[in-house]
Amino acid sequence: MLKIENISVDLGEFALRDISLEVGDGEYLVIIGPTGSGKTILMETIAGIYAPDEGRIFLNGREITGEVSRMRNVCMVYQDYMLFPHLSVKENIAFGLRSRKTSPGKIEKKVEEASELLGISHLHSRRPVTLSGGEQQRVAIARAIVMEPAVMLLDEPLSALDGLTRERLRRELKRIHKVYGTTIIHVTHNFEEVFSLADRVAVMNEGEIVQVGTPEEVFRRPKCEMIANFVGVENVFKGAASRNQGLMEIEVDGLRIVSAAAGDGDEGGNDCGTAGVKVFASVRPEDILISKVPLKSSARLQWGHGLSAMETCKDGGSSHQRNRFNGATALRPWRRK
Amino acid sequence: MVSHSPPEALLAALRSEEIQFAIALSLKTSLASTILCLAVAVPAAYALARYDFFGKTVANTLLDMPLALPPLVAGVGLLLFFGVSIPGRDLAEAGLVFVFTPLGIVVAQFFVNMPFMVRVMRSTFEGISPRYEHVAKTLGCSDAQALWRVTLPMATNGLIAGSVITWSKGIGEFGAVLMLAGATRMKTETLPTSLFLNMSCGKLDEAIAVATILIMISIFSLYVFERRVGGLRL
Repeated sequence: MLKIENISVDLGEFALRDISLEVGDGEYLVIIGPTGSGKTILMETIAGIYAPDEGRIFLNGREITGEVSRMRNVCMVYQDYMLFPHLSVKENIAFGLRSRKTSPGKIEKKVEEASELLGISHLHSRRPVTLSGGEQQRVAIARAIVMEPAVMLLDEPLSALDGLTRERLRRELKRIHKVYGTTIIHVTHNFEEVFSLADRVAVMNEGEIVQVGTPEEVFRRPKCEMIANFVGVENVFKGAASRNQGLMEIEVDGLRIVSAAAGDGDEGGNDCGTAGVKVFASVRPEDILISKVPLKSSARLQWGHGLSAMETCKDGGSSHQRNRFNGATALRPWRRK
Repeated sequence: MVSHSPPEALLAALRSEEIQFAIALSLKTSLASTILCLAVAVPAAYALARYDFFGKTVANTLLDMPLALPPLVAGVGLLLFFGVSIPGRDLAEAGLVFVFTPLGIVVAQFFVNMPFMVRVMRSTFEGISPRYEHVAKTLGCSDAQALWRVTLPMATNGLIAGSVITWSKGIGEFGAVLMLAGATRMKTETLPTSLFLNMSCGKLDEAIAVATILIMISIFSLYVFERRVGGLRL
């Protein structure tokens, strides 16, 4: 298990502030966050490239805070592959095993195993520059996986690849994770990767971890406005909260949004249950129903408004509807902050 | 210039004892000064490219200074240092005599050419992402091993180009060499010195033979340099 305790790192341009995180054995954790939120530094700190100014890191109960990279058994894969250009593909994959003075026979066997799993055996004699992006990333992953690392760090491993290659490699990452059972921390800013790969997801912003949970939790119940915006919740409203018979009521521009569950409070420690506290409320578009007649349902929120315009936009093959109502935008929310 | 004298005269001049001596001395001294440059410039350039440290700007300026200084002036400075200063005298007493000796030629070439080597190597190292070393370290390398197994092999082009340009500049160095090592026939007579000596006493065939060799060396080194570091920013 990897345990990070109150890590702070200051590199001038980027900084990490008081990061705590636990990653279980064999877990696939995805870290998501906007550019410049410190994701890469966090990875490089775990890998031992930077020493934290404060805090401690434990790996399987052993403290590794001050340990040099090579003793940690943590491997890293970068977005831009970082294959050694002066070595062949095979030499690249064998690089780490050779550092460990593994016997040639064993190296051969492990390299062959990983290459087969990733479908790159036929590339062994080639130089990295002659490979496509997808092939290079497979080699980089193979180079890390042969080390059988305690933790494998993937820094935006799929971001530089085209759509089809990305999807294929994503499936393969899932398979590799299953086969090797390695603990993986995967940094991305792509939501698809979160949903298809992550056991848990951590959201980072401005050098801090702002929320950790299952993908469903984070996307359904974003903890603050930044996450809501980042995970693509379109309908975010600001209003005053009040409690009414065990339900949360949020006043937004004269409309009342009722939420069955209160949020956990913002970063500032605001208690959403206190009357008059400003909160953000979001309503998932898929939870909105529009009907010409009053609905007979248990939905608590129904507003009668005139529909003034309804347009269908077509962009790039996908179409979506945008509905405009009289006055303020009306919604049929039934869910949460 | 090459076609001024008939080829037979050039070949005869090339066979003369004096020119042969100059060629040998030039090759030896330039090789020695290039190796010295490599030994100092590679670590210095690596530090300048990779680390931030106190006094980095000053170090950069100091290293670049001989670049702006006329070699003749640099030679005078070296002559004063090795000739009359106390550390210079101590060195001479210890058996390291630089003034008017072949050893002085090596030192003069080294001092004038080191900045070029540092510049070439610095931009070479700057062009190699430190992430290669990061990856190497997570793959079981110590700092030194990462440098040896990854960064230096990746810097091969810069190393070759820097060495060749330093070597060819070393062979062609005249001003600083003249000041520190003098121009003694058959003793501190490098190719440029030989060109100067033969020219000043009217031996045109010999002078042109030497000039031809120097031209060939320049063309060769320029070719290697362009092929190896066409895209490097210096």
